[in-house]
Amino acid sequence: MSASARLDAITAVTQERRPARAVPLVAVGRVLIVLALLLFWQVASDRLAAQLWVSDPADIAVRLWRWTIDGTLGLHLLATIEAWGAGYVTGGLCGIAVGFLLGIARFADRVLSLFIAALYGLPKLALLPLFVIGFGIGLQSKIALVATVIFFITLYSTRDGVRDVDPDLIASLRIMGASRSEILSKLLLPATLPWILTAMRISVSITLVTTVGGEVLSSNRGLGFLIASSSARFDTTGVFAAATVLVAISAVVNALLTGREAGASRWRG
Amino acid sequence: MDEPVIELTGVAKLFDARGVIAKALDEVDLVVRPQRFVALVGPSGCGKSTVLNLVAGLLDPSAGSVRYRGNPVERPNRRVGYMTQKDTLLPWRSVADNIGLPLELACRALGRAERHDRVEQMMELVGLAGFGRHYPSELSGGMRRRAALARMLIYEPETLLLDEPFGALDAQLKLVMQQELARLTHLRQMTVLFVTHDLTEAIALADEVAVFTRRPGRIRRLCKIDLPQPRDIVSVRFTPDFAGYHDLLWNELKEEFGTGGDA
Repeated sequence: MSASARLDAITAVTQERRPARAVPLVAVGRVLIVLALLLFWQVASDRLAAQLWVSDPADIAVRLWRWTIDGTLGLHLLATIEAWGAGYVTGGLCGIAVGFLLGIARFADRVLSLFIAALYGLPKLALLPLFVIGFGIGLQSKIALVATVIFFITLYSTRDGVRDVDPDLIASLRIMGASRSEILSKLLLPATLPWILTAMRISVSITLVTTVGGEVLSSNRGLGFLIASSSARFDTTGVFAAATVLVAISAVVNALLTGREAGASRWRG
Repeated sequence: MDEPVIELTGVAKLFDARGVIAKALDEVDLVVRPQRFVALVGPSGCGKSTVLNLVAGLLDPSAGSVRYRGNPVERPNRRVGYMTQKDTLLPWRSVADNIGLPLELACRALGRAERHDRVEQMMELVGLAGFGRHYPSELSGGMRRRAALARMLIYEPETLLLDEPFGALDAQLKLVMQQELARLTHLRQMTVLFVTHDLTEAIALADEVAVFTRRPGRIRRLCKIDLPQPRDIVSVRFTPDFAGYHDLLWNELKEEFGTGGDA
């Protein structure tokens, strides 16, 4: 149950930092900090450190603009989002389905849990070469990698959620006359939903890391590929430009997720 | 007389609590005939709730037989309504949706409009009118009990198994609910098996009261309550017959409390 405890802790943390948003002073402070850092970077470049190693904000901005116009950014951004999204959805859904099966079929769970735990502990990035051999260097190997990562997260969470359902609730529904499918739809699914949503939420950023990591290691497209290929050419500006896009994605995703948090269910009192 | 609805013959139930075998019930015989209201009273932990679980088909007897309308009890027994001591409302459903749940099931599905009407009536009956949109976590313990009672009564099962349904209610509301239960079970010709700690409640409501011994539970005495039905739950308490039954049963019961004297 340590997995569930961890999930709870994470949810608690994300829910705590909600207030103090409407204060414009906070926004002003944030903008000022960013501007100051950029200015320092610009001035320090080639004075404190060689431009070759640290690039500078103006160059990066120019590079981003050029990439946007010539379609480089679009191509790689789309590749990353595609691999990320497809892996997230397929792996997530498979994990939920298998999690339900294992949660309901205790015997299958007892037999398989050893193997699942062993695979769960395996660093999935180590499987990438295998996926590249199997699926090629394109999107599919990254989709497979991302799917494997999120699969285990949603599987464990869903299984624990199903197991956590009070047997007395199941008994009371059965006496009421509920069929197996009604117990699934009226009890197990709604009871497990918060567990699944939490797993899906924490998986968003974990799978983004996985996608880009996979692209850096072996790929022919994507933001991670852009970083790897720029770095191979000692093109620090290119590395920073691609990294900037990743920071932007991460910020947008986090903003969306925290925004949704506000609609948390009332019944949990 | 009519064929029994519930029939326990020589029933024993053992529980294995971490290697220690505990005997909850020992040689229990009990017959409940149609439309009878039978109350089980006795000290805590004497196995009264186990009897209900056996009749509901949630447990198997270790020895003896449990029959429902002549046949061994199915697992689970879908012909009874069971209100357990524990709260089994679904926390993500509003009170109204919880109460209407039995009418959503395929075996007795009703249209939305009719379901809504029945739920409204039921909430009125148990004094929850206006709380339909609240969630169980927003209600007091007593209100949750009433919602659970409403959820069971709404589909009018032929037999009710009630495990201290009114334990958490305040005295006035308890009387109102007892009166409603008596009226409804009489009207719908329901058979009731009712577990309570409250001897007054048992005598006021029941046709028969079974006094249980301490664990392992046996029926120490089965007493017919010959007060005319239907009764007025409040005024019946002040009749001389009532006082007689109370004295009689209390003398049986009090020997099961206190220490020592266990066989």
